[in-house]
Amino acid sequence: MKKAALLALALSLALTGCSPGLTIFSNYRHLEMIELVRTVTVDSSEDGVLVGIYGTAGEEQEARMYEKSGPSIGVTMNELTLRPLGREAILSHTENMLIGEDLAKTRLDEVLDYVERFSEMRLDTGLLIVRDGTARDLVFGLAGEETPASDVVAGLDQNIARLGRGYVFSCREIAASLAQNGCALVQCVRGEEEEKLFEKRGDLNLAPAGMAVMRPDAAVGFLDDRETLGTMLLLGRFRSCNLDIPVDDAVFTVSVDKIKPDIEPVFSEDGRLLRAEIRLRAEANLVCMDGLADVRSRDVRRQAEEALSQTLRSACEAAVRRGPALGLDFLDLGGILTRRAPLAMEDMGRPWEEVFPTLPVTVEVESVLMRTYDIIDPPEIGGREEGTPWEKLTDSLRDS
Amino acid sequence: MGKTDRLTERQLTVLIFVSLLSPMIRILPTAAVMLGGRASWLSALAALPAAAALTALLRALTKNAPEGLGLADMAILGWGPAAGRAFAALCALWLSLYGGFLARSAAERLLSTVYPNGTTPVFIVTMLAVSILAAAGLTKTLARTAEVLMPILLLVIFVVLASAAPDVSGENLLPVTYRDWKDILYGAIPIFNVTAANVYFLFLRGHVTMAGPGRRRVFPWLGLLLLIAFAVTLFTLGTLGTNLSITMENAFFMVIRNIKVFGVVERVEAVVVAIWIVTDFIFLSAILMIAAEIWKTVTGAKRRSFFVWPCAALSGAAAFLIARDAFAFLKWSDFIVPAVNLTFTVALIPLALALGKLRKKY
Amino acid sequence: MTRGRGAPAAPEIASDAAVSVAALEEVYRDCYDFESREVHIGGDVRRKARLCFIDGLVSGSDVAEQVIKPLTDPERFGAVTDAKSVIAMLLGGSVYVYTAKSRTKLGELAEDLLNGFCALIFDAERTAVTFEVKSQQRRSVEAPKEEKVVKGAKDAFVETMKVNTTLVRRKLRNAHLKIRQYKLGSRADTAAALIYIEGFTNEGIVAEAERRLSGIRTEGALTSSVIEENIVDNPRSPFPQVISTERTDKFCMNLLEGRVGILVDGLPLGFLAPGTFSQFMKVPEDHSGHFIVASALTLLRYFSVALTLLAPAFYVAVAMYHQEMIPTRLMQSMIEAKQQVPFPTAAEVIMMLLAFELLQEAGIRLPSPIGETVSIIGALIVGQSAVEASVVSPVVVVVIALAGIAGYTMPNQDMGSALRLCRFFLVLAAIGFGMFGVALGCALLLYHLSGLESFGVPYMTPFAGSEGRHLSRALLRHSMTDKKDREPELKTGDGGEAGL
Repeated sequence: MKKAALLALALSLALTGCSPGLTIFSNYRHLEMIELVRTVTVDSSEDGVLVGIYGTAGEEQEARMYEKSGPSIGVTMNELTLRPLGREAILSHTENMLIGEDLAKTRLDEVLDYVERFSEMRLDTGLLIVRDGTARDLVFGLAGEETPASDVVAGLDQNIARLGRGYVFSCREIAASLAQNGCALVQCVRGEEEEKLFEKRGDLNLAPAGMAVMRPDAAVGFLDDRETLGTMLLLGRFRSCNLDIPVDDAVFTVSVDKIKPDIEPVFSEDGRLLRAEIRLRAEANLVCMDGLADVRSRDVRRQAEEALSQTLRSACEAAVRRGPALGLDFLDLGGILTRRAPLAMEDMGRPWEEVFPTLPVTVEVESVLMRTYDIIDPPEIGGREEGTPWEKLTDSLRDS
Repeated sequence: MGKTDRLTERQLTVLIFVSLLSPMIRILPTAAVMLGGRASWLSALAALPAAAALTALLRALTKNAPEGLGLADMAILGWGPAAGRAFAALCALWLSLYGGFLARSAAERLLSTVYPNGTTPVFIVTMLAVSILAAAGLTKTLARTAEVLMPILLLVIFVVLASAAPDVSGENLLPVTYRDWKDILYGAIPIFNVTAANVYFLFLRGHVTMAGPGRRRVFPWLGLLLLIAFAVTLFTLGTLGTNLSITMENAFFMVIRNIKVFGVVERVEAVVVAIWIVTDFIFLSAILMIAAEIWKTVTGAKRRSFFVWPCAALSGAAAFLIARDAFAFLKWSDFIVPAVNLTFTVALIPLALALGKLRKKY
Repeated sequence: MTRGRGAPAAPEIASDAAVSVAALEEVYRDCYDFESREVHIGGDVRRKARLCFIDGLVSGSDVAEQVIKPLTDPERFGAVTDAKSVIAMLLGGSVYVYTAKSRTKLGELAEDLLNGFCALIFDAERTAVTFEVKSQQRRSVEAPKEEKVVKGAKDAFVETMKVNTTLVRRKLRNAHLKIRQYKLGSRADTAAALIYIEGFTNEGIVAEAERRLSGIRTEGALTSSVIEENIVDNPRSPFPQVISTERTDKFCMNLLEGRVGILVDGLPLGFLAPGTFSQFMKVPEDHSGHFIVASALTLLRYFSVALTLLAPAFYVAVAMYHQEMIPTRLMQSMIEAKQQVPFPTAAEVIMMLLAFELLQEAGIRLPSPIGETVSIIGALIVGQSAVEASVVSPVVVVVIALAGIAGYTMPNQDMGSALRLCRFFLVLAAIGFGMFGVALGCALLLYHLSGLESFGVPYMTPFAGSEGRHLSRALLRHSMTDKKDREPELKTGDGGEAGL
């Protein structure tokens, strides 16, 4: 009897779910009334913010875009998600948020706070800042008849990583970095007008545009492509990129695939931090060659390796210089050095914030050309000295 | 074969283990990080000696007590009928209030993670209703339920942590040096506090068939519990970093928000939060059961189930009245409840047992 | 042995055979199958005896050949003049019947008649002799119909208890195999047998089984539920607590595990106790196939339990409350499909579950070929038509079908039915509370299962109540060459260790 009464109570609560206030039924959403948001844009507007949501109500249905301006993201988003043709837009599947540059410079913290606090949103939503324009215009420009803007944006993170032109940090990574380090990096993109190769794509093409350095409240500086490459190399976020290296009369295109940064503090005998030494080992492969060069020759390879080291060193140095210039340790040098020599860093007597702006940083890069894939010699196009395979092998052994 | 409500030491230990998983995940890693900072991922390991020492002390104090005696019986023996009964009643009263706190905290967690548009009463009432069912039943049934649930919970923790592993970064965890030992110990306090709650289960000792001297079943389970606490703290801090974790109430569930399982299921926090409700159910049922058991001993009544209802009513009232909003509740959660818990588990109850031991009552 | 129903308890056989026959006729009044006739001993018309039997229960030809023919043979009985000597000769084997009993009470006589005996009543002697001449009209031993055999013994229990005990005895040639007989039912007087291996099966379990069998209060044990519901610890639980099987090999294997078996005359089933959850996940084929394959299949069955129980509830919770768990592409197609359906998700799922149950019930009730057709047509056409007519979403059909198919992998249909029932309960919890409801529902279900005991053995052993040992026994099938342990809760006489 007691059990029956309790079960009845539990069931009655379940069934009285229809009464608002007492129940969790208010979390119920009708599946057929859902509009799935995949991309969100936030720009600054006269009212405050201009929020746009982009998604579909089904796989076969056209992508839809809705936007509204309002005083804050919370209020505007709430109005917007309830608006689309009587459907309820849900943000749980949002893959990327694009923020206009103007807004990023003033109130990026509000965006992050919204994502963190609003349990519907994923923390792994990618955050992107749109340079030289508004996020709204970019998404409108990207959208084509057969290329939903969301798909284009969603594919960007892989492309950027492969190009070595950045890294799409998620809101979680950005929030963690801000909390830990006081600054964070955010990938930037811009819309570029290109000739349409097929009609059903949008007017704009999405291109990486360096990275933004942000403080907890707003973006305070932007890194160009070289600085971005250096930053990625030093942060260990680098995945791969192809670089052209001049070697004698030829140009080698090498793919840099493996980077191992090693950052070490150097202390004086009295415990002062003298400098930070960055050593980078890069492994590259020859992808193609413009011109003729004997890649079997050790000298030729050494030249290529030195040229590659020079390119990478200049990128790293550019990134290292930018930190003190902005007054933000976005490379987390302080954290890295502390992890390398925790006690010495603690004992050096001065806080890192004081040391950082004037700390000398040296960069050494060692590059190794690992392989040339299946083709050892380039195709013999005119005038190349011929020899038997045996002669080539002995030459090669002699060289090395 | 009449139904006797006996359980083995192992069953009691598993019941404790599953019950304590609930508060462990609730407080970790935020409570540990608040006190221990970056190095607090080691605090769970640091809590082990203290937790083991407390457990060993209680074992030593109760070693010679005859089988069939619960903590309430021992308190009555040790302190005399009046004082012993008063002490036991005080424990029962606190446990009823603690039950309310547990129900409320589970409801708050559900609201902040999965059901943002819900209200706490529906969760509190449902959980209490279901827990009354279990608390009014046999102790061994609850222990067996815990036994069945334990591998499921361990599997869930393993899958969740394995899925979260790619996001863990050593940068968020290091450096840790010997100079951090104080921080590590500070961080161990809330973790120890959770493990100390196993003291309450001594009230159920009367139902336990002792395995005999030499069996130390409780220690491996304690180790496993703290290992889980260690893993949860490690993975959460490694994913979110210290400073971000400290800002969150349910940092572990925030980590789960990003987990995808083989691309088939995304954002498994709803499932994990719901599964963790099961540990809340076990703990809440056990607490109500213990409170009722104490009242049964204090009053000399024959049936325990009669007392479950008033205890649950008290828990319900506490759950509703403990705090007006989440901010006020946080105060209870961070300070008041841990402090009272420590007072009971580390001071009052061991003292009560020690007194009986000194008076050679058992 | 209890007395025949309706027979006078005390009266003894009268000195006048006609009076005794009249008394029997009174007992079997309005029983058209009761027959009695006069027999002339040794062919001498002056020496008469009355032969009584129940037509159909005895074999007419056997009575004629084995009893009447030798009894009326002048060469054999012509020289015997007094009835006492005739009775002595009959009991001594002068007729060709292997069971002959001397009876002095009318009640015993009446009961023997019901058990396939014929009775010979003599004048003046106040004694009757009964001969077992049971009719052999019984179903022959066939392959099991409900529990399919892929690789194993193909003899199933039949409705005749003696045949069933013979089948068991043939498999377990052991003098310690004890078969105790009981009579069940105040009116039907059904025979039942308790089977166990003496010195090996735990005595406590045997005693408990005995107590429960003796305590059955029923008019007739004609259905399996009469036995099950009367002997299980918690008859209110929908979960089976004794194992019922029509397979003799399964029955014997469980006897060898240390369980007690119960056979009931008229039921082509054997009951085994204690029944634990893990036992319902096993099939005898596990011991016929390779142990790795068998282990994988056992794990698959456990997965099926989770699937059949949780799939619809999980879908409801996710589709109604936790859409964030669905991957984007799947979510898009689900939304699109759902837009055509006029019913809410909860109604869709409940409707489909009910439709599934209807189809299943219709399939079982209809004669075999039609039943199968109905199931297939129902599943294919109704499901497809429902989707085409936008009555339900395709995903719902897939989920319900998946849950249904997973349910069919249950080796025991009673377990399958219980799980189906719980499925509804969990769906309701999911509708009301989402994943929170599913979790609490599961917790309650596990609590219920953990509270069950079968003959003193925890139902959830070895998952609970077995000190954490022998867990692998439930989930995996060990190699036959490995030393095996029995369920410790069965407390067998050999200490739980099986030989190689």
